Amino acid sequence: MAMLSFERKYRVRGGTLLGGDLFDFWVGPFYVGFFGITTIFFAVVGTALLLYGAALGNTWNLWQISVAPPDLKYGLGLAPLKEGGLWQLITVCAIGAFGSWALREVEISRKLGIGFHVPVAFSVAIFAYVTLVVIRPVLLGAWGHGFPYGILSHLDWVSNVGYQYLHFHYNPAHMIAVSLFFTTTFALALHGSLILSSTNPAPGETVKTPEHEDTFFRDIIGYSVGTLGIHRLGLFLALSAGFFSAVCIVISGPFWTRGWPEWWGWWLRLPIWS
Amino acid sequence: MNFKTKILSGLPALAALVLLVGCERLPMDTAQIGYRGTGMEQVTNPRIVAAEAPKHVAPAPLDPVDAGGPRARDVYQNVQVLGDLGIGEFNRLMVAMTQWIAPNESCGYCHNLANLADDSVYTKKTARRMLEMTWQINSAWKSHVGDTGVTCYTCHRGQAVPAERWFADPPTKTAGRMLGNDNGQNKAGKASVVNSSLPFDPFTPFLLGSQEIRVTAKTALPTGHDVPIQQAEWTHGLMMHMSDGLGVGCVHCHNSRAFAEWNQSPPARITAWHGIRMVRDLNNQFMLPLTAGQPKNRLGPTGDIAKVNCATCHQGVNKPLNGASMVKAHPELMAAPKPAAKTSLLPAALIESAPTVR
Amino acid sequence: MPEYQNLFTQVRVEAPSYPGVPLERERDNRERLGSGPHIQLFALLGNAQIGPVYLGFLGIASIIFFTLGFTLIGWNMLVQVNYSPIEFIRQLFWLSLDPPSPKYGLSFPPMNEGGWWMLSGLFITMSILLWWVRTYRRAVALGMGTHVAWAFAAAIWLYLVLGFIRPLLMGSWSEAVPFGIFSHLDWTTAFSLRYGNLFYNPFHMLSIVFLYGSVLLFAMHGATILAVSRYGGEREIEQIYDRGTASERAALFWRWTMGFNATMESIHRWAWWFAVLTCITGGIGILLTGTVVDNWYLWGVKHGVAPAYPEIWGPVPDPAAGR
Repeated sequence: MAMLSFERKYRVRGGTLLGGDLFDFWVGPFYVGFFGITTIFFAVVGTALLLYGAALGNTWNLWQISVAPPDLKYGLGLAPLKEGGLWQLITVCAIGAFGSWALREVEISRKLGIGFHVPVAFSVAIFAYVTLVVIRPVLLGAWGHGFPYGILSHLDWVSNVGYQYLHFHYNPAHMIAVSLFFTTTFALALHGSLILSSTNPAPGETVKTPEHEDTFFRDIIGYSVGTLGIHRLGLFLALSAGFFSAVCIVISGPFWTRGWPEWWGWWLRLPIWS
Repeated sequence: MNFKTKILSGLPALAALVLLVGCERLPMDTAQIGYRGTGMEQVTNPRIVAAEAPKHVAPAPLDPVDAGGPRARDVYQNVQVLGDLGIGEFNRLMVAMTQWIAPNESCGYCHNLANLADDSVYTKKTARRMLEMTWQINSAWKSHVGDTGVTCYTCHRGQAVPAERWFADPPTKTAGRMLGNDNGQNKAGKASVVNSSLPFDPFTPFLLGSQEIRVTAKTALPTGHDVPIQQAEWTHGLMMHMSDGLGVGCVHCHNSRAFAEWNQSPPARITAWHGIRMVRDLNNQFMLPLTAGQPKNRLGPTGDIAKVNCATCHQGVNKPLNGASMVKAHPELMAAPKPAAKTSLLPAALIESAPTVR
Repeated sequence: MPEYQNLFTQVRVEAPSYPGVPLERERDNRERLGSGPHIQLFALLGNAQIGPVYLGFLGIASIIFFTLGFTLIGWNMLVQVNYSPIEFIRQLFWLSLDPPSPKYGLSFPPMNEGGWWMLSGLFITMSILLWWVRTYRRAVALGMGTHVAWAFAAAIWLYLVLGFIRPLLMGSWSEAVPFGIFSHLDWTTAFSLRYGNLFYNPFHMLSIVFLYGSVLLFAMHGATILAVSRYGGEREIEQIYDRGTASERAALFWRWTMGFNATMESIHRWAWWFAVLTCITGGIGILLTGTVVDNWYLWGVKHGVAPAYPEIWGPVPDPAAGR
């Protein structure tokens, strides 16, 4: 079997949200559950539609395949399949698959008797995706505002949407989000390093303690957030990064149409110094 | 949840709110520029468009007049460039110009009212050159203005000095000091580069001078295209002005995944290319030579004359006056008036060799 | 009744400050500057204790150099606004200390034409390098591994590529990044504009994969530990050498979710490598730009990576061609 040495005692009945015992089993290492079934359904259909979309295109080059959203003229309606309708169906499958995955994580958490932090964190990421392909297009009045499903083509979309605002780096929410991304990576490097440095000490040394970890950071920067705190901080930084990313794109267009450098005019025009 | 916890968890929402305070509201108008999914779109705020719409309305044309009758040069004196215009058209044009440029000051803005032929008021000589500039734009620069053309109103909009024009910047006080060189950029609040910290005078090198705007290499691998990164900031600054002057984003003329590639750019880029050359032509051939005749209050901080950039005509919309063609009601502004063909007692050879009015 | 999620500490214990694990040399212990306040706001998230901080020669030297560099940058900015403190705050985001003009190549320019930039850059670089040695030495002094220092080295690699190595290879200090908030963002855009769209740089793609991956990993790891914190999951060292139910449930969560899992130790290796590779690949991507590749979009076309979009307007020829 594909079970770890200690796994058997954890494989108990229960924790499901829907379906009771019907899908409460494992396939290899994977837990199934009702939402495992829905995940497989949405993922398979979505992938099949993506392959169909690729076949309709002009290439099978992995980097160049692209399934594009509809023209803006179709507004919020359903577009013809080959004119962006496929993209719409794939998006529905994606949201279905991601949502199913999150709910499956909830079922697994309940079965293991652990907190729901992981599915909640994943929901922030799903929210960011939904912001890009549902919330912002709905606010702007057309599904065509979503990004294409293609490796390089989605980057071309990012570039063009960004340059609509002349200099996207000046978007204040983008500045916050980028700073949070870099800070999260920085904190991750520090945390990973710290644990490894305690458990893989200098040759001949014994494994260290949390007191060593705290002392190391207090020696270097005068503060150590601690073993629990770093995980709270890391989760908070990462989720804030995702949240502000969603904010920065949803305000571009629906709540601001000019260049982003121009937005900073309010600061320069504050009555206290103008 | 205690008070502190409530505050902490509310911080992200507060930050988001602060951002929204400086923003606009729904609904928005959108237009697609490129192929679907490329992200080449334009989002505009209909409330801003409506608020600025009065700025872009062409005034109603004057009643048309008969093109016949004596020529202006036969009726008035010192008519140097409009001589071949019919007297009715001439007078109509004068009334129109007054409305377009000096509606409150009337004829006295350019003319010595005791002697209308007199050139002593500087504005009259400037206006004469401006007429030649208008003909230049409408005849030699169809590549940019097409058949829509321009009139004095396109730039002046009822003001003696157009609202949008540029002067050279005075050298910064810190130049020549030990510290504090701003490097021609890094200044807050520069409308020329739409409030960014890019080089704030992209006009002198690109719209007066003919410095190369393109910065991207034409080959994937290096082949000696030695253009520094700082040069790209200058080009970006010019492009910021062009976008802002026309009220469009970069994707109006470019597919930003490959700014330099013409085969990926919308056709508007060709029009813009000609527009840049046109502005250089106008600034060098017409504006600069007029500097000597201007009084001090018409000159900039370094003593230079006001010059043209994209915003001068466009004033924030893609097509000036939203595409209204005022020259249709003033065909005499399409090109310099020519003498009408007529029978002559002169031998053919002499007629052909006579100098033509430009 | 809603369940406590262990996001904020509800009961905050006040205790005497912990002076730190004693160091081998007594004079090292004296280098530690006494404890500061306990900040209750921090106690909601983690430890409340501020300090003690180890001063040491390296630390002090690093701070001195940093202060010098930082002050030079600020002074130049202050002069740009004619010493007005109000204008300094108002215009702060736009102010900048720029690298020299391209015409100076690699030679030392006049002070007010890039010389101050070079001097500040030198001071800040020395500060960073001294700080690096500090992170190395503090780990050695405590008998710990030097993983923090080596992760920091990856970030220093990227910093040096941007400000020193690449300008050196390109033959011009003007290629380096200015010191300024908006100005360094202008530099970033200019870099992409000049080199044909950095999205097509494969090392840029890799760096972003590792950047986003790091954020993904910290969300996953932070959430997982908090989810098993009721079993003492945050006591990671002990869970590593004596696997408890926290590690087992954490591992099984991921195994059942995605078919494979890390261990309490190996997740930190995933974390370390994703974060470190962000900087390593990023540095490589910057270094290759302009030296080996001049236009990344055309490079992408050459290597069959650029998608082709249907033409929806007629041919748009270059008006300058043939002139």
